[in-house]
Amino acid sequence: MMTMLGGEPFLLVSKQEQQNYPLYIRSVPSDSELKFHYTVHTSLDVVEEKVSAVGKVIVDQRELYLGLLYPTEDYKVYGYVTNSKVKFVIVVDSSNTSLRDNEIRSMFRKLHNSFTDVMCNPFYNPGDPIQSKVFDSMVSSMMVQTC
Amino acid sequence: MSVPDYMQCAEDHQTVLVVVQPVGMVPEDHFFRIYKRIISVNQVSIRDSQRLLYIRYRHHYPPENNDWGDFQTHRKVVGLIAVTTCSSAKEWPQTFDRFHGQREVFGATLYDSRLLVFGLQGEIAEQSRTDVAFYPSFDRCEDVEKRVEDFVESIFIVLESKRLDRATDKSGDKIPLLCVPFEKKDFVGLDTDSRHYKKRCQGRMRKHVGDLCLQAGMLQDALVHYHMAVELLRSVNDFLWLGAALEGLCSASVIYHYPGGTAGKSSGRKPSISQAADAGKRHRPGAQEVLIDPGALTTNGISADTSSEIGRTKNCLSPEDIIEKYKEAISYYGKYKNAGVIELEACVKAVRVLAIQKRAMEASEFLQNAVYINLGQLSEEEKIQRYSILSELYELIGFHRKSAFFKRVAAMQCVAPTISEPGWRACYKLLLETLPGYSLSLDPKDFCKGTHRGWAAVQMRLLHELVYASRRMGNPGLSVRHLSFLLQTMLDFLSDQEKKEVTQSLENYTSKCPGGMEIITLPDGLKLPPVPFTKLPIVKDCCFIKVLWLFDILFLTRSNLLYPRIDLDLPAFLYYTKLDTWLYYLTMYFQWVQGDVCEVQLMVYNPMPFELRVENMGLLTSGVEFESLPAALSLPAESGLYPVTLVGVPRTAGSITVNGYHTSVFGVTSDCLLDNLPGLKTSGCAVEVVPALPRLQLSTSLPRSAHSLMPPSGEELSNSVSVQLFNGETQQLFITLENIGTELLETLEVTYKMVNTKEKIFGEFLSWDLQGPLSQLPLKPSQTVTIAVDIRVKLDFSGQENLLQDLNDDGISITGLPISSPLRQVLKPRAENKPISAEANKTEYNHIKTLEAILHFKYSGGLGQMQGYYRELLLGVHVDVEPSVFFTRVSALPATSTRQCHLLLDVFNSTEHELTVSARNNQDVVLHASECQRWAAPCHVSCVTCTVTSEST
Repeated sequence: MMTMLGGEPFLLVSKQEQQNYPLYIRSVPSDSELKFHYTVHTSLDVVEEKVSAVGKVIVDQRELYLGLLYPTEDYKVYGYVTNSKVKFVIVVDSSNTSLRDNEIRSMFRKLHNSFTDVMCNPFYNPGDPIQSKVFDSMVSSMMVQTC
Repeated sequence: MSVPDYMQCAEDHQTVLVVVQPVGMVPEDHFFRIYKRIISVNQVSIRDSQRLLYIRYRHHYPPENNDWGDFQTHRKVVGLIAVTTCSSAKEWPQTFDRFHGQREVFGATLYDSRLLVFGLQGEIAEQSRTDVAFYPSFDRCEDVEKRVEDFVESIFIVLESKRLDRATDKSGDKIPLLCVPFEKKDFVGLDTDSRHYKKRCQGRMRKHVGDLCLQAGMLQDALVHYHMAVELLRSVNDFLWLGAALEGLCSASVIYHYPGGTAGKSSGRKPSISQAADAGKRHRPGAQEVLIDPGALTTNGISADTSSEIGRTKNCLSPEDIIEKYKEAISYYGKYKNAGVIELEACVKAVRVLAIQKRAMEASEFLQNAVYINLGQLSEEEKIQRYSILSELYELIGFHRKSAFFKRVAAMQCVAPTISEPGWRACYKLLLETLPGYSLSLDPKDFCKGTHRGWAAVQMRLLHELVYASRRMGNPGLSVRHLSFLLQTMLDFLSDQEKKEVTQSLENYTSKCPGGMEIITLPDGLKLPPVPFTKLPIVKDCCFIKVLWLFDILFLTRSNLLYPRIDLDLPAFLYYTKLDTWLYYLTMYFQWVQGDVCEVQLMVYNPMPFELRVENMGLLTSGVEFESLPAALSLPAESGLYPVTLVGVPRTAGSITVNGYHTSVFGVTSDCLLDNLPGLKTSGCAVEVVPALPRLQLSTSLPRSAHSLMPPSGEELSNSVSVQLFNGETQQLFITLENIGTELLETLEVTYKMVNTKEKIFGEFLSWDLQGPLSQLPLKPSQTVTIAVDIRVKLDFSGQENLLQDLNDDGISITGLPISSPLRQVLKPRAENKPISAEANKTEYNHIKTLEAILHFKYSGGLGQMQGYYRELLLGVHVDVEPSVFFTRVSALPATSTRQCHLLLDVFNSTEHELTVSARNNQDVVLHASECQRWAAPCHVSCVTCTVTSEST
C-alpha cells in the first residue's frame, strides 16, 4: 500500500480511561497525519455517546463493535471498544467499496487479539504507547491487505 | 433568503416578529438601553382572551427574509418600533418622514408601528397620538414598557382578525395561492381551476392559518390546521409546503411538550406555569370542534367538555414523532436548493429539541446534515458564524471534541487568507474557547502530576496556533506565555527537532518581551497563570541536597542544649536520598547564621538535546530577609545528574523556609516551588537562622600540614599544621586569628585534645598564655590577635630493645634507684663485648614518634553570644618527634665518700647535629653527630637529675 490506490486506512488504538490519549496511531500514507488526529479525536465524542448508550441497557454479551461512527465526505470512521474501554478506530477512504461492515469487523477482531497479546507482555506497562514490533507488523499487514 | 438565523428554535414559531430600529441619529448606547427595555416585554397576556402573545424583537432584519413571511408567519415583520431623537420642533417633520421611510421597508407586512421620540418638548410633544410617544430624554421614559404592551395588544388585534378572516374562508371562495419568492415564476400560466391547484391553495392556506393560530396562542387549533394541511399537501406532492406544515406540527408539539423552551438560557423565555397545565383547557374548544368538523372552526366558545382531552393527545405529536417529522420535513426542504436556509434552520431547531430529549446521537446526525447544506456563496463572516453555531450546538449535545473542532475551524476562518483584515483577536478568542474540548487548561499545575491528559498531538497544534495568533495580535507577552506552556507541558511529546524550534522561537519572543511570573489577565477576564519551567532543567525527584558550612564555620550549638549536641556525631555534610530525611536533619541539626553564606545543593539534569543555559538561578525563601546570590550554569545536552549549588545570605535572624528556586531560561524567569515538583511531597523546608556571630580566620606561623588529621568525632578541621621536633625540644607556634566577620569578637576560649596517642607524654604538650590576647578583646572586624602556643615534646624513647645496656660490670646494682628519664631499668643480660657501633645502631634509634592534637578555639560575640551561640574553630597540630640523646649505658662507681658515688653514663647522640649535654654542675659535654661518650658525674646517692638540652648547630 504505497500509494493512494483508492483506500488509505488509518488505524488507531487509543487508551481511554478518563483521559483519552492515543496509544498507537498509524496511517498510510503518513503525510497528512495531523488531519487524522483531528478526525479520530472528534470521533471519540460519538464513541463515548455510543458506549454510554450501551451502558444503559445491561447486556451480558456487549457488542464491542460500534459500527460506522460517522461518515464524512472523504472518509468513513469505524469504532470498537473493548470491555476495558480501550477504543479502536479505523478510518477508511469513502471510495473504498471493498471494505464492508464484515471486513471492518474482522479487522477490529484481529486488532483486538493483537492488542491482547501486547497487554499480556509483562514488560508492557498498561497506558504506555504501544511499541510492540509484532503489533506493528500485524497492523502493517492489515493495511496492505486493504489496499 | 440567504441569511440564516442560527439562534432560531421551535418555539419561535409562535412568536410575532417586531423590528426595533433607530431612525436618524441615535447614540448606540442609548438605543440599546431602550432596546433592552423593549425586549423585556417578550410575552404579553391578552386581556379578554386568556391568551399569551410572544414577541421576538430584532434590531436588524434583512427585508428579503421578510418575503418568506407567507411561508412561515413568524418570519414576517408585523411590528416596527422606531426610536429617534428630535431636539426641536423644526426637525420634527423631517424625523417623521424618516419614520415613514422606515415603515415602507417592511410596509407590506406590518400590522402596526410606533415611533418613540426622545428629546422633543413643547407643543408637538403635548399632542396625544397613538403611533408616536414623546419622551423628554432617554432617562425619563418610565412608561416605555407600557407603551410596548399597548402596541403588542394592537398587533394582537390585527393578528386575531387575520386569523379569523382566514380560518373562516370556506372552500367556496377563491383561495389565493400563497407562495415563496422563488416559486412565483413557476406558477405563471398554470391552470388555476384544476382540482390539483385548488388543493394546493387550500393546503397552503391551512398551513398559513395554522401558523396564525400558533402565533395567536391557540395551540390546539394550530395542531389541527397543520394536520389538515399535511394531508392536503401530501396529496398534491407540494413538498416545500408539506415540509413547512410538518415543521409547524413539530413546533406546536414542541411548544406543548417543552414549555420551558428549547433554546436554553439565552432565550430568556419565562416558563409560565399556566402554559402547560392550562394549554389544554384554554384551547379545548377549538380542538374539540376540529375533530368533529375541521372546517368549521369557532374561536370564542368556552366549553368544559372533557372529551377534548382525547383529541389533544391525538393531535399532538409524541416526542419520538417530533423527530421523525422533523426528519421528513428536512428531507422535503432538501429538495429545493433555494430553501437551504429553511432546511438549515430546521436542522438547528431539531437539534435543540433533541438536546432537550438527550438524544445526542440523533442530534449529531442532524448536525452532520446541516454541515453539508450548501447556502451558496457565504461571506467570511457568515462562515465564521456558521461554524461557531455548529460548535455551540455540538457543545449542547455534549460532543465537546466536535464542538472544539468547529470552533477551531471558525477561528481559522477569522484569519483566512481571503480576508483582507484578518481578525486575529477574534481568532485568538475562539481558540481559547476550544481549550476544554481538547482537555487542555492553561494552568501548568494540571499537567504536573500523573499521566498526560488528552491528545497531545492536537493539543500541541492548538498551542502553536495560540502562540501564532497572539503574536499576530501584537501581544508578545501572551505568545511567550503560551510557548512556555507548550514547552513545559508537552516536553515529552516534542521531538528533538521541535524542541529546538520551540526554544528558538521562544528566545526570539523573549528578546522583545521577557517572560515572567505575573498572571496575565485577558480583557475578557480569563487569567493565564504563570508557567514556571520546572522541567528546564529537571530537578530530580529524589534529589540529593547538601548543606555545607562554608569557611571555618564548624559547629553551632546552643549552650542550653535545645537540640541534640551536634558536635558529637554529625558528619560535616550530609547526603540523604530522601528530601524528607534531609529536612529532618536540616531542622534538627542545622542552623544558618545571619550574614553568612549558606548553600543548598540540587541535583539537576537537562532533558534538552542541546546545551541549556540557566541564568539567575537562586533560592526562593520565605521568613527572614534573605539575599539570594544567583548562579548561572550551563548544562550539557541530555546531561546526567549535575549538582548545582545555590547560595545566599540570610540578613536577619529567625526562621527561614526554602520554598523553591528561581531560574531564567530562554528569557523566561520562573519561580519553581518545591511543592510543584513531581515526586516531592514537601512544600519547603525550614532552617533556623541564628543571629550574627563573629567569624575568625586562622593563620599560623608554621607550614600547613600535608597530613590530614581525622578528628574522632568527624569534625572538620579548618587548618592543620605539622612540625618536626627533637625529643625534648620546644617550639613556639604563633596563631593569628583575624576577625573577618562583621561582629565584635568578645569571648575566646582555647582548649586542646590529644588524638590517638598511646605515648606517655611528660609535661604539657601544648601550653599558651591567653592573658595577652584576651586583653585585646573585644576584637573589632579585620583586627587580629596572636596567640603564642608552646609545643613541648617530652617522650620516652627508651622502650626500644638493646638501647640501654647495663654498665654494672662490678655487680653493683642500681636497681631501685629512682632514675629519671630517659633511664629505665633493663633486666636483660647484657650482650658481652658488643661493640658500640654507631652505624649499626643509628637506624635502630631513628624511631620517629608522632603526636597529634587538636586545638579548639571556641569564640563568640555580638547578638549570637547573647543567645548562647558560639562557633568553634579547630586547628590540627601534628608533631613528628625524633629522638635526640640516649643514655646507652649506666653504671656507678664508688667515690671517696660512702655517701657519694660517680655515675657513669654513656651518652649517645643519635641526631645528625652536634649537641651539648650539660648537667647541673655545668659540666658540658659536646657530642658530635652519632657520637657516643662516657660521662661521669659525682653525685649524691639520693638524687640524680640529668637535664639534657640539645642544640642544633
